[in-house]
Amino acid sequence: MSEANASRAKDERFRDEALPHLPAVTNFALSLTRDESKAEDLVQETYLRAYQAWAQYQPGTECRGWLFTICRHLWIRARKREEREVACEDGDLEALGAAALHTGALQSGLGDLFERYDVRRSLDAALDDLPTAFREVVVLVDVEDQSYEDAARILDVPKGTVRSRLFRARRLLQERLIEHARDAGLATRSSGGDDSTAGAET
Amino acid sequence: MLDCDAVMRQLWDYLDGELTSEREEAIRAHVAVCKRCYPQYDFERTFLQALEAARRSHSRPDVLKARVLGALRAAGFAA
Repeated sequence: MSEANASRAKDERFRDEALPHLPAVTNFALSLTRDESKAEDLVQETYLRAYQAWAQYQPGTECRGWLFTICRHLWIRARKREEREVACEDGDLEALGAAALHTGALQSGLGDLFERYDVRRSLDAALDDLPTAFREVVVLVDVEDQSYEDAARILDVPKGTVRSRLFRARRLLQERLIEHARDAGLATRSSGGDDSTAGAET
Repeated sequence: MLDCDAVMRQLWDYLDGELTSEREEAIRAHVAVCKRCYPQYDFERTFLQALEAARRSHSRPDVLKARVLGALRAAGFAA
């Protein structure tokens, strides 16, 4: 194959495999930067780096995850690794914390919170307030549908760290949503006055 | 047989599809009949659906695409 043909084939593969992920990379960049203009710069830089490094991409592997990795590395470098290190909690304890939170929500008459309350705006605000290390894992797993293993590879942390950060992030988000719902006067009972869950185990 | 405590610890793993098929089936069977765990399961499932819907999108995706393609072409991209 001539050099010109090889170059064209490379560009066509990039067009077919990398460019279709532009919307997902944009969403991810928006989630990281929380700013459309900064996200645009980050997306452009991500695609330029990906194009320059295209020879390193392994055909058939997960191109979207590869692009997320580049995007995140560029963003971290731009922020000089700010917030990268966070305390890591135990995933099981976070899950149990969420169960306690749910019990509290039930006691406040907020057990069906997500069905009768438009949480979109509160959720956006709560996501904005999450420390970056928690926000990025929520975005990868809950919004971009990456597995724990794929997220671990993108974030360059162990799978257990993804799990614990994810569960912590979800618990923090739920706390904020319940707080917002209470502030909005949606709680129908004061907490502590309901025993609907007591003694109901199998 | 799983108890409620074990189910609570693994509920998110279950909803995320991260468990073995054997453990997944055990949790599914427990949640289906447990009056304590089912409301929690339902709450978490609805929460995750709301979270998934929180996807942010760019207000001008075509403009951004044109900008990215322009930058790529300046770097030699020709497809």
